[in-house]
Amino acid sequence: MSTTGNEAARDTAGPATSDRAAAAHRRGGRSPALRMLATRSVGAVAVLLAVTVVVFLFVHLAPGGPEQALAGREATPEQLAAIRARYGLDDPLWQQYLRYLGALTHLDLGTSLLRREPVTRSIGQAAGVTAPLVLISWLLAAVAGTALGMFTALRAGSRLDRVVLALTVLAASTPVFATGLLLAWVFGIQLDWLPVLGAGRDGGDRARYLVLPILTTTLVLLASSTRFARVRIGQILEEDQVTFARARGLSTSYVLVRIVLRNAAVQTITLSGAVLIAMLGGLVVVEQVFALPGLGTLLVTAIGARDIPVIQGVTLVVAVAVVVVNLVVDLLCLAVDPRMRRGLEVDR
Amino acid sequence: MSPAGIVLARRPRARRFLAGPGVPPGVAAAALFLGLVAVWVVAPGLAPHDPALIRPGDAYQGPSSAHLLGTDPLGRDVLSRLIDGARTAVLAPLTLAAGTIAVSTTLAVLAGYLRGWVDAVISRVVDVLYSIPALMVAIVIVGVTGGGFGLSIIVLLVFGLPANVRVLRAAVMERAALPYVEAARTLGVSTPRIMLTQLVPAIGPLVITSFFLQITFAIVDLSSLSFLGLGVPPGASDWGRMMAENRATMSANFFSTAAPGLCLAAVAVSANVLGDWLYTRYEQAGRSR
Repeated sequence: MSTTGNEAARDTAGPATSDRAAAAHRRGGRSPALRMLATRSVGAVAVLLAVTVVVFLFVHLAPGGPEQALAGREATPEQLAAIRARYGLDDPLWQQYLRYLGALTHLDLGTSLLRREPVTRSIGQAAGVTAPLVLISWLLAAVAGTALGMFTALRAGSRLDRVVLALTVLAASTPVFATGLLLAWVFGIQLDWLPVLGAGRDGGDRARYLVLPILTTTLVLLASSTRFARVRIGQILEEDQVTFARARGLSTSYVLVRIVLRNAAVQTITLSGAVLIAMLGGLVVVEQVFALPGLGTLLVTAIGARDIPVIQGVTLVVAVAVVVVNLVVDLLCLAVDPRMRRGLEVDR
Repeated sequence: MSPAGIVLARRPRARRFLAGPGVPPGVAAAALFLGLVAVWVVAPGLAPHDPALIRPGDAYQGPSSAHLLGTDPLGRDVLSRLIDGARTAVLAPLTLAAGTIAVSTTLAVLAGYLRGWVDAVISRVVDVLYSIPALMVAIVIVGVTGGGFGLSIIVLLVFGLPANVRVLRAAVMERAALPYVEAARTLGVSTPRIMLTQLVPAIGPLVITSFFLQITFAIVDLSSLSFLGLGVPPGASDWGRMMAENRATMSANFFSTAAPGLCLAAVAVSANVLGDWLYTRYEQAGRSR
């Protein structure tokens, strides 16, 4: 790759220069990748602060006001007054927010009203169920989706291509609880191969309980990742660089891995991040279908019982997860695409 | 064929799914099914029984001539509840999708034609919304405030904007650069008038396509909310809620859970198939022009 070409592309506004050091110095003396990372991190912190404000306000948005939310619906007026005094609810809002932020820095998320235990403990236990479910489904869907997308893109227009396309439409538009209940009915009840309800006790047992939830989540994620990979890889296969590579007599595997996959990588990674984030709500539903004691079930139970500290805690954890996924996606893109490391415009 | 042959062969451009002249059978089936549901929506009187009538003596029945799809754990007729539920199952997603697309189109035309700071503001807001899990936020907001169906529709509307604004804005920018828009400007046509009479009609087909695809997302999200017991009030014959209520007794009457599930999936898939087909037609019309 020629350096001068890169510089010309980068400095479209100013005069083109081939001296990369000088150009970098002008922009603050850091590499574009580090600069991007810095701005993203600052942005992530800002987003998280904004989320804490919103989550803090949950208490005040709840019907009956904060004291009702904290004391429960059957509280007497005396109890309510005691709560107001104890939590300093008569202080100015900003003082209360600072106190909340201070508690957060100690990882103190309050105490669950329903379970009578620290929210962090409830969340820790629930995450032990949700984390493997999310990560395994995500990985399976990303790998299988790209493979399937490439497989069908190479056979564009064939019967297989159309069948896969029809299946992705079906899986993507069916509500996830319908997919889950169907799988549970077929594999759990009719065939009796796998357990349908709960998360089991430990290691090997839990794995068996997680098979159907993971299968359900993967199917839904797979629909979008396959479809996207199919379209993107189809586009790249039509590009001149692929024709040229074939004309040079490069092997099929070289063309597919070095040219097609590398070109599709940035968009694929970005999309799989976006799909995962969009799927978080669906995960709540999946956990409900299979009665998994994960974060989603924790959230739904807390909503039903007006257990505000738990709702706040789970919301914060989800927000952190979203921010982390976005950062990881950015980092992966930087790692995969040299153009982005040099700060060039890349269409994502 | 060898792997190398697959890559090397320059095939003629294959006919894509749902493309080409005539109406493919999949699309016809989708339209037919949506037609049936539309009949249920306008004529809930077709229901053979009172959908809310509780008859404990008739509970857990399988399909029979009196109850074509059997009864649920409270002895209510499943088919009647299915027909009665068509209104919430179809009208709410339609409203949601129409609202999303109307707001998206407005924002897209403003951003794509005016550019400048208007575009900057709209695009940044859209970027932020894009990385927020919509259904998750809806679950939390509706759950915490205890707000009903209306609130869930508003929340989902806001979070449905990003993807649509992006697609439509790109289309507006493409059109805004064409000579006929410049000609209108040169003639002294006012900016709002150019937007309404030149740009909106130009992206019309894409708007309709996005509308159909948005219906699918709306059905999935709204039914997920009612499956969780949020949004629709208890006792309502909502398809998502029916599945949540009946799934524990699935082995007694399979259809009490399967029928609403199949209907939901079929409506969502039909909307998606129709949207896809329209989009392919639109794309091809653009290519041949």
